[in-house]
Amino acid sequence: MQLKHNNVEDVLIVRPLEKRIDASTATEFKQKMNEWIDSGNRRIVLNLSEVDFIDSSGLGAIISGFKKIGNNGNLVICVVKESVMSLFRLTRMNRVFDIYASENEALEALSGKA
Amino acid sequence: MKAANMIRLIIDSRLENVSLVGSAVRGIANTLYIDSTTSYQLELCVVEAVTNEIKHAYHGQAGHSVEIDVLLYPDRLTFKIYNRGKSMNPAKVAPFSFDPSNIETLPEGGMGVYILQSLMDEVHYKSINGQNILTLVKYLKKPG
Repeated sequence: MQLKHNNVEDVLIVRPLEKRIDASTATEFKQKMNEWIDSGNRRIVLNLSEVDFIDSSGLGAIISGFKKIGNNGNLVICVVKESVMSLFRLTRMNRVFDIYASENEALEALSGKA
Repeated sequence: MKAANMIRLIIDSRLENVSLVGSAVRGIANTLYIDSTTSYQLELCVVEAVTNEIKHAYHGQAGHSVEIDVLLYPDRLTFKIYNRGKSMNPAKVAPFSFDPSNIETLPEGGMGVYILQSLMDEVHYKSINGQNILTLVKYLKKPG
């Protein structure tokens, strides 16, 4: 699974370059996120602009990263396609994650947090 | 009611094959008068169902076949998903619930059945002579 990642100050931006995050890629995605969190990244922006399909395994992997960071930082999401957003709404994860329309908005929101 | 059309999809029980079924379902859905979100949701339901069968009926083992019949009627789309692995007990599926404000309660799995029941108009499951059949039905709205 290809995941583009770069740092803007202390914020890690992760952008999957795949159209799908499903059961066949969720484990690898979760492992990568775990590695980044273990190496000290506590503020993460997940940019889903390339992703047009997420299933519950993919969503579970994102939730896993969010839980791992816990209260020591935040994982926010940006540029979510409408179809994928319907899964966040259905599972009420839109009430759990901060979701932004653009990467800049997500970065600004994270930078403003203590 | 007689189906106007039927397509049978057969894959080996490997998770990397599930996207083939998903893409086929989305392709079929895209020929109908439905919006892109509904098309995604149909793909999602079939992907959830087939993934569950590979993980639970076949314990993630390759070398078994999962068959999916896609039946297109004038007023509905029906998916019948067959396996010959371990059957499930729908009554034992834990309800999907959590507290959005309590991070400890957030689920990392166990969402599949909830998704099927929320998005499909009918969900049926039965086991006959060692064959498990999950039936998913979505009613189609008339165009216009």
